[in-house]
Amino acid sequence: MGKVNISFTINGSSHQIDVEPQWTLLEMVREQLHLTGTKEGCGTGDCGACSMIVDGRLITSCCMLAPQADGSDVTTVEGLLANGDLHPVQQAFIETGGVQCGFCTPGMIMATKALLDRTPKPTLDDIREGLAGNLCRCTGYTKIYEAVMTASGQEI
Amino acid sequence: MRTFNFYAPTALDEALELLRKTDGGRPIAGGTDLVVQMKEAATKFPHPSSIISLLLIPELNGIEFDESTGLRIGATSTMSDIADSADIREHYPSIAEGAGIVGSIQTMNMATVGGNLCNGAPSADTAPPFLVHDAEFVITGPNGRRSLPADEFFVGPGETALAPNELLVEVRVPAPADRSGSAYVRHTPRKQMDIAVVGVAAAVTLTNDDRIENIRIALGAVAPTPVRATKTETFLSGQPASDESFAEAAETAAAECNPISDVRGSAEFRRHLVGTLTKRMLERAANRARGG
Amino acid sequence: MAQETKTRDKAGDSEYTAVGKPTIRIEGVGKVTGQTKFADDLTFPHMLHAKVLGSPHAHARVKSVDTADARQHPGVEAVIAAADLPAYKMNPSNRRGVIFAVDEVLFQGQPIAAVLASDPHVAEEALALIKVEYEPLTAVTDPISAMEDGSPLVRSAISDVDRSEEKGHVTIDVEQEEAEGAPSNIASKINFSRGDVEAGFAEADCVVEQTWRSAMVHQSYIEPHATIADFDNSGELSVWTSTQAPFYVRDELCQTLGIHESKIRVTATEVGGGFGGKIFLTELITAALAIVVKRPVKYIMSRKEDMLAATPAPFAQVELKTGMKADGTLVALKARLIYDSGAFPGAPVMPGCLFVGGYYKCPNLHIEGFEVLTNKVSVGALRAPGAHNATHAIESHMDIMARELGLDPLEARMKNAVEEGDPLPSGQPYPRIGLKDCLRAISESDVWKRRREVEGQANRGVGVAIGGWIGGLQPASAIVGLNGDGTIDVTVGSADISGTNTSFQQIAAEVLNVPLSSVNVTTGDTKTAPYAGMSAGSKTTYTVGKAVKLAAEDAKRQMLDIAAQRFEASPDELSVADGKVHLDGDDDKVLTFARLGKMTTNFGARFAPVVGRGTMSTRKSAPGFSAQAAEVEIDPDTGAITVLGYAIVQDAGFAINPLSVEGQMQGGASQGLGIALSEEMKFDEEGRLLNANLLDYRLPTTRDLPPIETIIVEVPSEEGPYGARIIGEPSIVPGGATIANAVADAIGVRVTDIPITPERVLRALGKL
Repeated sequence: MGKVNISFTINGSSHQIDVEPQWTLLEMVREQLHLTGTKEGCGTGDCGACSMIVDGRLITSCCMLAPQADGSDVTTVEGLLANGDLHPVQQAFIETGGVQCGFCTPGMIMATKALLDRTPKPTLDDIREGLAGNLCRCTGYTKIYEAVMTASGQEI
Repeated sequence: MRTFNFYAPTALDEALELLRKTDGGRPIAGGTDLVVQMKEAATKFPHPSSIISLLLIPELNGIEFDESTGLRIGATSTMSDIADSADIREHYPSIAEGAGIVGSIQTMNMATVGGNLCNGAPSADTAPPFLVHDAEFVITGPNGRRSLPADEFFVGPGETALAPNELLVEVRVPAPADRSGSAYVRHTPRKQMDIAVVGVAAAVTLTNDDRIENIRIALGAVAPTPVRATKTETFLSGQPASDESFAEAAETAAAECNPISDVRGSAEFRRHLVGTLTKRMLERAANRARGG
Repeated sequence: MAQETKTRDKAGDSEYTAVGKPTIRIEGVGKVTGQTKFADDLTFPHMLHAKVLGSPHAHARVKSVDTADARQHPGVEAVIAAADLPAYKMNPSNRRGVIFAVDEVLFQGQPIAAVLASDPHVAEEALALIKVEYEPLTAVTDPISAMEDGSPLVRSAISDVDRSEEKGHVTIDVEQEEAEGAPSNIASKINFSRGDVEAGFAEADCVVEQTWRSAMVHQSYIEPHATIADFDNSGELSVWTSTQAPFYVRDELCQTLGIHESKIRVTATEVGGGFGGKIFLTELITAALAIVVKRPVKYIMSRKEDMLAATPAPFAQVELKTGMKADGTLVALKARLIYDSGAFPGAPVMPGCLFVGGYYKCPNLHIEGFEVLTNKVSVGALRAPGAHNATHAIESHMDIMARELGLDPLEARMKNAVEEGDPLPSGQPYPRIGLKDCLRAISESDVWKRRREVEGQANRGVGVAIGGWIGGLQPASAIVGLNGDGTIDVTVGSADISGTNTSFQQIAAEVLNVPLSSVNVTTGDTKTAPYAGMSAGSKTTYTVGKAVKLAAEDAKRQMLDIAAQRFEASPDELSVADGKVHLDGDDDKVLTFARLGKMTTNFGARFAPVVGRGTMSTRKSAPGFSAQAAEVEIDPDTGAITVLGYAIVQDAGFAINPLSVEGQMQGGASQGLGIALSEEMKFDEEGRLLNANLLDYRLPTTRDLPPIETIIVEVPSEEGPYGARIIGEPSIVPGGATIANAVADAIGVRVTDIPITPERVLRALGKL
């Protein structure tokens, strides 16, 4: 069973690597590229902790095979910092208390970014729909709703 | 997950050749079902020695609509592609509703219509809408191309009419008649991120005097496969599109379905939901047919 | 005693400069950037991954375990079963005393053997090559029938039950009657009596009797259990683990493995959610594996393993009879509570029995509790363990009785609510508490006020319920040091699971009158940090926070002493502000903390380093109460419940960080809503879990939860820092009853089991 040679861009930098075919995109990014910001919560696509943006779409990287990322443009939570500055979504999550244990946070922040890319001024309903694939067990979501409103420049 | 050989062909012929050559090779598209099943060693088939990704095959992509010939959905179109398609939302609302409720946003961005159908789950959310729209499934394989009506495609839980090494290429849906409408809804304990306990789709075409000229009802998760509620359809044909006939139709549908009890709901509960949701979908589909 | 109470406004204005202000998390940047390291993010040279084979049977005799083929699998470094481990000091009566099943498997998923390999996929593949011969035995799954004489036995007899972990969550002097005599599935019993309960019922104008059930639920932290252990040739054991309780982990490892505590280093990595479920589980097996191979071993539970074989919260059945007089006085309460403990003792029957009769003054009560064993995974703590099960029953009764007597449900509660000095069912008097203040505040909430509007609307309802928790007590300590540059380092031994390190930053900044940015807080490992109890039982701010305050005061005293010598003044004439020590009334006599830092750390410095030390121990608890209200809409044809609005009030004593207090309240409330609406571990008749994943075990999503209206009430505790009291747990307690009462208000019938699923709603409505 041979490794698969793939090329892709992650957080703006290009890579060409050999990857085990049965590895998921999540495993490749964490174990091979040592980007451990993205978390595995369930391994079955039911919690959203492993969310990344691939070719502009939010996906759960625990159920995408790594070789299928060939030719893709991948963004993980590590890719949101610009010259070391926090992304407005990251800043808003800190300020509003949308972060507690922090384990769902990278995925939640990627889902928020994907939502705001699509809908820059979301309503509460938009937010509740857009983040429904990301479970948070700590916050009860209230402060996450506030974080998304803040990040999109809206009054809470 | 155990290892396998991975292939990503860029042409359909190449994919078919790989399926033939790699004994026990399996196609993959979005992976949201297959990867999870392989991780848990819970596939309905032995662990595949080879995985053949279909995502790079142009012929399997794309959604096209034409007023006269109808709709073509390539098998690797994602649920999001379908749910976001203006043509599908306008002309085939039940299909958009089914595709727009599969799992999470992430799932919808990955899962393909081919996967949703070929996985053969009785609860597949796109199946009842395709059944009520008289969809045809275009299949290709070692013995060439063939086309199957949707209601002949589903064979059993996890089983479809695909022969070994065959692939679903596309779904074709006829153009809807004037004064027709369709709708799909499912019941789930959570509002999203869930699997249908029951799914119901209905498509109606109304006469000018608001009688039912043509009717299709399909049910998900109440039988080994997604099924048409044929007795209910027969009852409704020619009836007025009224509360009374829809209420009676709901009772007929509840009586004719044959659900099981499992972790997601009892048979009794499912039967009740079939009645409730059938009535609602008939009303919604009829309203849409009236231009509402 | 006059109680000073206030409802905090968002601005959080107070007499203080640092405490009481909404403060962002000290570790926030690390978490939003993904730079915070959780246990699974750590890796070590030469590290092996462990995969564990769990039993497919809930009850079976293990006849043989053959690991030969698995050992031969390419890439496998070791395969380890019970027979491969040294004779540790195991006690099969306790979950913590068993690594691998020996002879008998007691629950599905119980570990049988482990494979170690550099590649986790290889280890997993080899699991399938382990051959285990089982002789299936009768699985006992229903705790109610398991109590009957003649029921098949769940397991061999138990003895020497260790209840130390439970005491970390709730600390109160109550003894349970442990099983003895003839073999039985009843592991323990508990009884509380007061007055004459039958005479009480005779006096009542309304008597309600009902049986209530609440499902087994899972903590479902998003990070599954994760541990790395390493053992070297000097006999030192190092453990990095996602635990709420590093010192407890050390103590347990010492006791079982026979390694001195001084040779064990437990580092609590950032905890990706615990909620009572991350105390001590994967640490023992991982340490035992590392000792065999003398290499670092990482064991990350899969979600499925975590659902099958962690420590969820129990199913309980509560048979309750209550009597109320026409004026709303509660006069009698009789309860029988049965908790399903799973295969080992440890169910929180005691707190359940305390709270079923502990919210209201009631002259006559009789409460019996039973802890029953079954062939299911054994239970542990989930945020206020055992309280929600009992609260669901008593808070439903309060509503039913008030309704039958034509009383306002809040008035009926207010009339009977316990206050300082009132006894718990066990007899201990409550210290100062804020239950009545919570009731007053919930009556002012937007959600409760909607009651008038909703009245008469079909299928809409508003409900209210209360809940409380006593909390745990353990000694605590802290170190506050002055660095050479004048910044302050706080070192504690408590895992930060709820923002406590941020509160400690505020406390130290308050005492030393410095900006927050000058203070950093570190959770050390068990070798470097001063002792703290487990971060459970809502005690961390209450106990460790107090120690930090004492340590900061000690450091301040040391700084003032140095400055006093320098200025030839008395320490009484000195004060600290803006990072400086000032001689009062002389603007020229100023010593910056940076200067003090140099004076106590430089080569040849005249003064010793400033190291403040704080230690504390208290026997006085600071119980917390919460009142919650819900507005729901029911679809009467599908049974679907939509939560339209939700409000929580909680007495925080003093909210050191209102931002994290609100977060704890909202988070607990949302878990209560999961318990109320959708969470239930379902087992088949053979004791196999049917929903071991996060698809069919349903945590609430954003679509299920509206924004939660959040109101902090502050009735200061007597001993907590600045009056703070327990925070983390009360918020989860009332959810089940709140929703049950709202649903009953909406549809006029009662659903007696939680979660209140659509199917149960339809059954209650007689539609199924």
